[in-house]
Amino acid sequence: MTFPPVLDIDWSTLAPALTLLITAVAALFFGLFHKDSRHVAIASLIGVGTAFLFALSRFLQPSDSVASFGLRYYGDTAALGFTFIILLGTALAILVSFDQLRRQDLERPEYYPLMLLSALGAIVMASAGDLITLVLGLEIMSLPVYALSAWRTGDRQSEEAGMKYFLLGAFGSAMLIYGIALLYGAGGTFVYEGLSQALAAGQLTLLATLGGGLVLVGLGFKAAMAPFHQWAPDVYTGAPTPVVTFMSVVIKVAAFAALLRVIGTVFPQLGAWVLLALAIMVAATLIIGNFSALMQRGVKRILAYSAVAHAGYLGLALLAPDNGGTAAAAFYLTAYALMNAGAFAVLSLMTDANDRGDDLERFAGLGRKRPWLAAALTFFLLSLGGIPPLAGFAGKVLVFQAVIEAGWIWLGVLGILTSVVALVYYFRIIGYMYFRESEYEPPRLRSTATNVAIGFALVGTVLFGLFPGLWHDLLRVSQTLVAGL
Amino acid sequence: MISLFVILLPVVVALLVSLGRGSSQFVRGMAFLGGVGTFAFALFLSGSEPFNAAWLPGIGVSFALDATGAGPVLVLVAALVMIPTLLVAATRVEQNAASFVVLLLLAQAGLNGIFLAKDLIVFYIFWEATLIPGLLLLGLFGGDKRREAATKYLVYAVAGSFLMLISILSLKALSGAASFHITDLMIATPALSASVQTWLFVGMAIGMAVKLPLWPLHSWLIDLNEQNHHSGAADVLGSLYKVGAFGFFAWALPLLPAGAERVAPILLILSAVTAVYGALAAIGQQHLKRFLAYGSLSHMGIIGVGLFGLHIAGLSGAIYFLAAQMVSTGALFLVAGMLYHRRRSFMLRDYGGLAKSAPALAAVSLFMIFAYIGVPGLSNFPGEFMALLGAFQTSAWAAGFATLAVIAAGVYGVNLFQKLFQGPTTVPTRDLSALELYVLVPFVAGVLWLGIAPAPQLRQIEQQASLVTLQMDRLAQAATADTQMLAAVPGGER
Repeated sequence: MTFPPVLDIDWSTLAPALTLLITAVAALFFGLFHKDSRHVAIASLIGVGTAFLFALSRFLQPSDSVASFGLRYYGDTAALGFTFIILLGTALAILVSFDQLRRQDLERPEYYPLMLLSALGAIVMASAGDLITLVLGLEIMSLPVYALSAWRTGDRQSEEAGMKYFLLGAFGSAMLIYGIALLYGAGGTFVYEGLSQALAAGQLTLLATLGGGLVLVGLGFKAAMAPFHQWAPDVYTGAPTPVVTFMSVVIKVAAFAALLRVIGTVFPQLGAWVLLALAIMVAATLIIGNFSALMQRGVKRILAYSAVAHAGYLGLALLAPDNGGTAAAAFYLTAYALMNAGAFAVLSLMTDANDRGDDLERFAGLGRKRPWLAAALTFFLLSLGGIPPLAGFAGKVLVFQAVIEAGWIWLGVLGILTSVVALVYYFRIIGYMYFRESEYEPPRLRSTATNVAIGFALVGTVLFGLFPGLWHDLLRVSQTLVAGL
Repeated sequence: MISLFVILLPVVVALLVSLGRGSSQFVRGMAFLGGVGTFAFALFLSGSEPFNAAWLPGIGVSFALDATGAGPVLVLVAALVMIPTLLVAATRVEQNAASFVVLLLLAQAGLNGIFLAKDLIVFYIFWEATLIPGLLLLGLFGGDKRREAATKYLVYAVAGSFLMLISILSLKALSGAASFHITDLMIATPALSASVQTWLFVGMAIGMAVKLPLWPLHSWLIDLNEQNHHSGAADVLGSLYKVGAFGFFAWALPLLPAGAERVAPILLILSAVTAVYGALAAIGQQHLKRFLAYGSLSHMGIIGVGLFGLHIAGLSGAIYFLAAQMVSTGALFLVAGMLYHRRRSFMLRDYGGLAKSAPALAAVSLFMIFAYIGVPGLSNFPGEFMALLGAFQTSAWAAGFATLAVIAAGVYGVNLFQKLFQGPTTVPTRDLSALELYVLVPFVAGVLWLGIAPAPQLRQIEQQASLVTLQMDRLAQAATADTQMLAAVPGGER
């Protein structure tokens, strides 16, 4: 098999990522001359919107070439679908940050450029067709987020979050790179397709299996899958809420996009071993994530562990790449981006300026004091819990259906049983909001931008729940592209 | 299209009510219009055009509704009961009546969806979605221990229905059916091996048994009814939302005949136990709402006995009883609410001799209690009788045992009336107000209608019940074919 020469560039595949890069650089200079970070935010939003339009135009008019650089950078339906979700998450995070930065005294010109760069890395990761591209994307995505996690300088918790995230993240990256080196040793190439063919042709070696396992661990770190999830709750609690909104969505999307592609192409050649390891990781994530969330008293920590648990549900889709798993995962990620970002957006309006004060008690009686806010949060939580007819339910059905059809019935059963636990902790928050009298006056914080984000997420959560077929049908095309290319 | 309207109309009215929540006049008007409008649509439901639209074509889910069989009957009776219930909610709830009305309307939309869905996933969506309004009604408007009751309800209902979801998803994956539509499923699923069918049936049965409810999964119901808002309006919804029997009838039994054949005997015994246990427990209750809850649990047991006898008369009778109990149970919960409105108590010892000062209330209550305990000529009798009759064909023992509940019903019914309305007068009480009279009229009409003219509704229900017996017959034929084939093989005789 010969590959096209290295420098075949289809600029339309690169356009969304390049737009973000240019916007980030421009925003950095723009920020130097504009004291008000809100102007930078608007500029960033325009950049995100332009990137979205580029991705959309390619989505609507698919060209013959699916990739650039000889299958090293994809622009297929899957890549574009994930790009949409990443841009969506970024836009929501920018809206949540809009008024919060000033209120929380976090206004510094680098904030939005870092966020855009991180989103750029996420898009590169989701589009990568090559292990080196994957590492590049991962690092471009991660480094800005380490800085953003420690954005509240002088605050022990935030600095601890940044430090912890950086150390553990570096550890995860090291694992990934080591795994890549082993895979290269076994297959002689970095490109997924080439690697898959090389491995299929030769005998399966320990080198390759070990390499695959380490890649799984490295990406598992980013996806916050147990037992590599420990950073998540601390970072989510310590980092400023707008940053958490961003990372809980964008990083998860990128990690799962990369996992889906690697598992769809390389892993089938590595033997049942690696898949079994993945299945055990998924099972552990479901159990640990859900039961730990049940023990928490702070809403932010509940949502942090719930994010771990959702990594488990997404992990189910990884086990069924041939059976609609990719489309299911992409749909689930869309729903997750909307409902999770929405929940954190509501949370950002509830907490104190230093991000403390997210105890459950604070939410008591919110249904009476801030009825719209409470109603929105209720919708997001019900959707996270998988109650129909909201987007989270459709996502869960798709994921469970895929994993059961792939023959992993026990994992499906485990996933659904842990969902019962999940509903208990989500409903605990709803119960506090509606079934208790308030002992506390919630902050009278109003932010139009955050309200826009909440409204957008809410409409999306409801619409994707009522009419899931529209989006899922578009994504379904990607199934063949990832698995069969 | 009408089947879509009976779902959409309550939702639209609910949206309007939540927008115009400021004016109680508007809320009352809309509540009444919503109830009557849905009822009007429900009248023309039977035999209307089926509705079908793609929902999640990727995994074969279509938004399919069809008003054939038992569905339209249940929708119609529920709509009749909802008119007065909405009126009570709009007038008797002191705080935030608009939310109460909104939740009731949303629950009604969900119920109609449950009864009309012809796609298994869509059925599940409505089944699960209807849980939330009921839960919020309890949590927002309930009594002192509402949080505990709500948690219990949530855990029971969600654990059960999620198990059901596993079975539903596996059903298509394992049988290779083309879609989740009932017709596609019914062709494919009976071919599954008996052991697979049994597992899938058990998964579905747990979810449905919680909502039937069957002993020992019933305890959420008693707490729910005790803690619900004192007007009784939420309890009426509770008696409508006992959809487990319908789930068995419309889905689990026809789809998994071999599983049903194996598990039904166990469920039959549990149902008989439920019937007798509920009736005996009712006799000992001091709390009016707990009393009614146990009495209605006993009814659900008899419905179960009818279903799991797997005989056509029992199946039809069970579903007819399910529709009929909505009326009598609902009416008595509202009467309980009216009594509470007068005396601020649900304890039976606080009452007595009300018949002297409130003769009209006593008369209507007596009528409803008669219906409740299954007096011939009134609503509960035809269904109850047929349910037991059908079960006698398959298991005379279980049916005979369940009949004890009917005898006990006579005891607790008379007991209840005596404790409330007869004996020494405690404090004189107001008789029925005009509003209360209007509220009770539809119930009286419903009791008479279902009691005197059961034939048309039963015909419709029977049409769907025959699906179950058809599948059971196919199963039996396949078994005889197998033995004949074995006999034909030399040396194959056993």
